[in-house]
Amino acid sequence: MRLNDPEACRVFDVQRFSIHDGPGIRTTVFLEGCPLRCGWCQNPEAFGHSHAKPMPTAAILAEVLKDEDYYTLSGGGLTVSGGEPLLHLAPVRALLEDAKRRGLHTCVQTSGIVPQTHLAGVLGFVDLFQFDLKHMDSQRHRQLTGAGTERIHANAAWLLRQGAAVQFRMPLLPGLNDDAENIDATAQFLNKHGAPALCLVPYHRLYVDKYRAMGLEPGVQGLEPPSDALLAQVRRQLEQHGVVVTVEG
Amino acid sequence: MSKLHEKNAAQKARLLNAEHWLCMERARFYTQAHRETEGQHPSLRAARALQCVFANMTVRIEPDELLVGNRSSHLIAPPIAPERGDFIFIFDHLMEELKAFGYRISETDERFLYDELIPYWSGKTVRDAKIAAFRAHGLVSQLSVKPGEIRRKLRSFGARSLWRLVVNGQQKQTALASVARLPRLLRALRGGAGDNIKGRGRCTDTQAHIVLGHKNVLRLGFSGIAAQARARLESAQTAEERAFLESVELSCQAMRDFSDRFAAAARTQAVDTADPERRAELHAIADACNRVPWLPPQTFAEALQALWFTQNAAIISYGAGSGITPGRVDQLLYPYFAADLESGVLTRPHALRLLEEFIIKLNNNVIIWPNIGGVELNHLGSDVENITLGGVDAQGEDATNALTYLFIEAITNTNLATTASFRVSNKSPKNFVREVVAIHRETNSPAFLNDETAIAAMVRDGYAVEDAREYCLVGCVEPSGNGDTYGATGGSKIYFPTALDLVFNRGKTTFFGNQDGADTGDPAAMATFDDFLTAFYAQLHAMVGWVTDATNLRDAIWAERFHNPLISSTIDGCIANAKDMTAGGARYNFGAVGGGGLGTTVDSLAAIRTLVFDERAMTMGELRDALASNFRGHEALRQRLLAGPRFGNDIAAVDGLARDVVARFCAMVSARATISGGHFKASLISYGLNVYEGALEPATPDGRGAGMPLSNSMSPSNGAERRGPTATLNSLTRIDHTHIGYGNSLNLRLPVGILRSDKGVESVAHLVRGYFDKGGFHLQFNAVDTATLRAAQERPADYADLIVRVSGYSAYFTRLGHAIQEDIIGRTEFATCG
Repeated sequence: MRLNDPEACRVFDVQRFSIHDGPGIRTTVFLEGCPLRCGWCQNPEAFGHSHAKPMPTAAILAEVLKDEDYYTLSGGGLTVSGGEPLLHLAPVRALLEDAKRRGLHTCVQTSGIVPQTHLAGVLGFVDLFQFDLKHMDSQRHRQLTGAGTERIHANAAWLLRQGAAVQFRMPLLPGLNDDAENIDATAQFLNKHGAPALCLVPYHRLYVDKYRAMGLEPGVQGLEPPSDALLAQVRRQLEQHGVVVTVEG
Repeated sequence: MSKLHEKNAAQKARLLNAEHWLCMERARFYTQAHRETEGQHPSLRAARALQCVFANMTVRIEPDELLVGNRSSHLIAPPIAPERGDFIFIFDHLMEELKAFGYRISETDERFLYDELIPYWSGKTVRDAKIAAFRAHGLVSQLSVKPGEIRRKLRSFGARSLWRLVVNGQQKQTALASVARLPRLLRALRGGAGDNIKGRGRCTDTQAHIVLGHKNVLRLGFSGIAAQARARLESAQTAEERAFLESVELSCQAMRDFSDRFAAAARTQAVDTADPERRAELHAIADACNRVPWLPPQTFAEALQALWFTQNAAIISYGAGSGITPGRVDQLLYPYFAADLESGVLTRPHALRLLEEFIIKLNNNVIIWPNIGGVELNHLGSDVENITLGGVDAQGEDATNALTYLFIEAITNTNLATTASFRVSNKSPKNFVREVVAIHRETNSPAFLNDETAIAAMVRDGYAVEDAREYCLVGCVEPSGNGDTYGATGGSKIYFPTALDLVFNRGKTTFFGNQDGADTGDPAAMATFDDFLTAFYAQLHAMVGWVTDATNLRDAIWAERFHNPLISSTIDGCIANAKDMTAGGARYNFGAVGGGGLGTTVDSLAAIRTLVFDERAMTMGELRDALASNFRGHEALRQRLLAGPRFGNDIAAVDGLARDVVARFCAMVSARATISGGHFKASLISYGLNVYEGALEPATPDGRGAGMPLSNSMSPSNGAERRGPTATLNSLTRIDHTHIGYGNSLNLRLPVGILRSDKGVESVAHLVRGYFDKGGFHLQFNAVDTATLRAAQERPADYADLIVRVSGYSAYFTRLGHAIQEDIIGRTEFATCG
């Protein structure tokens, strides 16, 4: 089967009762493949080493629909995550289109590092984009993830221009992106684009054993989860810029 | 920071630090009167005995308390009812263990117990009569200790597993001390096996498990009830009827005298009290005790005193361990609460203080058992007095009221192991479930009950819909009528895995070793899964027959010998029918049979179907041999079984087996008639006994080792749920819960720390609503606290389903490395009991 078979996605996990991946109770479908290599990535399966089997979109949707009653009650639905779920357009577009046809709320968690045509391709079938801002400085971003920010920022701006619902999220990585300069720059970016809200996602270490089990080493070593004090400080700094802050996870 | 009223905090601290005593007062005075009334009608004998107890037992007024009514000579000392036989059995066999466990008994009481009480009751108790009747009807399967059977048990269970049965897991003891105990404990087990019913069925000595008619006591007072009995006496036809009605009058009068003793004690204490505030409280107590429960209460405080006093007296009358239930306390008390707030005689904070004290008192009970054999029953609150809150009224309208919410506050502030059942209907206030879920942040987990399902089940069993809507939860989660039912919702039980055992051993159970039932054929010769199922259901049918026959024999003994006119007087129907509740006087009458180990059994059936018949991965003969040797030498086969499909993962084919087993079992049970004209109702509840129950069960085809716990209640096997809570709920609702007349319970383990966020609380509330929309009956959440996580580190296999969730990521706790586990434990800050 071809990787971009429109009828199949490479799924490495389906997680029911997800409550931190968009509104309500959701099922999160994790797709393999990512152009980035973030040193703190919690889902190394997405790198493609695990060789997830292609799963027909109809089968994915059948799995997702098992919890339809809970979506209805809670305002939840389907979240597509990764890896970078928009890396291969055709299959994810098919999945989202089918989900919308069934009336599900859809959310896509993206790094933004995809061709704009991919965003355009799913735009009509996505109710919410959760869009990562990992670092504002392009060079620093490249050091941390392997790619610069230019395309990401252009895509963010483009999505907002199309009137898409975009929730910006920032993984809070102590020592890597929590400096005052970056926080200020993030706030300015949000204000500039008229989207002054940010969801902070505190770094966690739950994934490190998974790397070892896969025979890999995380790119970032010795990183500690942010303290409550740090979280409060970052929140305060963002709020001084008029940014509405939420904390997830 | 606890918001508990300081006086209640003091009462709670005293309760938590109190010694556990064995007090013989109830036993002594009941026996004294019983001796003097030989030959009289059983209702009259009971009333005289009650009079004697109430007139002579210690009356205590504890510091700080506003509600009075004690059960014995010590703060914690369950009232002992020797006539039932269960207490005598325990004292006869396990006193050493009770003492080692921390129970204290005075020298006088101990002498009385062994010199007078046990000799007098020998041969006279319900238990003695019951065992004789079971024997006479060929229903007993005695533990066989013939050398051949011992060898077989050792082979099937292993010495270690048998050993666990007789040692106390909580106490460190030397091997020598344990060996010295062994002969006595084996005798105890054999003695206990005297009421082991064929097919490993269980039928306790007690019946009870009823919702008291508090509604009638509050409406009429015992004076009004006595007047009803007097009026009914005029049209009494027989000496039997007259004896019952006279005994009701005597019991009502005994209640008045008992209450007056408290009034006198309060006045005496007031004289010696320097603190003017406490003196005023004592005078108020005295005034209330002179009025209620003899007269109908006029204030909220009086209503609560009447309710508590009646509850307490009823438990003394029946003895501890009887499942006497207060019922819908928010409904019962609301009219007084509303009127008092309106008139200004009550403030909300004072009402809260009273409710907190009431909740503390509802936790003052223990089941007398020394915690051996995997039974851990004697923590505070274990002899549950379940309160029912919320739900619809008799007309079907939402009846959640301000008092419901005040109870939530009181339960939260009190932070004890309170058993509270929250009824939820389609009409419940929008945020009701969420507010109850939030209780978990502070304290033990309350239960949710689905009105739509419970009421449908009650109507199916013959209740008028208005009565069904007033249902209350008895014991753990058994729905029963509101003061109109004699239902003995607990006590008789079978275990589904035993039916598997009987098939594999052609009519014998491995533990007891006797030819209990029919030989349903050589399992190795079964050609299809349907053949196996046919044999399984044939054995199950026989088991239901034995346990219901036994239950009817026991019930006949109660009806003939041991009445309870006090409790009967409060129950609708008894006075009109001029008959004790044990003799069928109540408006509604039922019996109960519980089924245990559903998850274990369904997983076993699924494994047999998939691995033996579909995939031909093993033969039936190989499976039988592997089970008989507890998988020794069959590890590869066991691994195949453990990897088989599991109930609780939203797999339609597996869940279908659960649906069929439950439907067939419930139909078998409902088809059996009780001695009072009702029928038996099924339940799927474990009472926390699934560890003990598993101890007697050999290896099962789901790969579970001999002696290991069974799955609890209607929940999937421990660690079997791998697809998250919604998958489990979907599995459970493939079963029709309205067939299960006496309820089922599902204890769901939530992702770690989920309740820390508002979104988490809201999502859990949606789980409840979603489960109930699909027809689920009961849902309770296992709070994942530090103790849970520590247990998961020690026994990862039992906690394989424990999930840790964050954004975009979830992990199974037991598969995380030790350092990360410690990190999570450090962050999981849940209040624990106490």
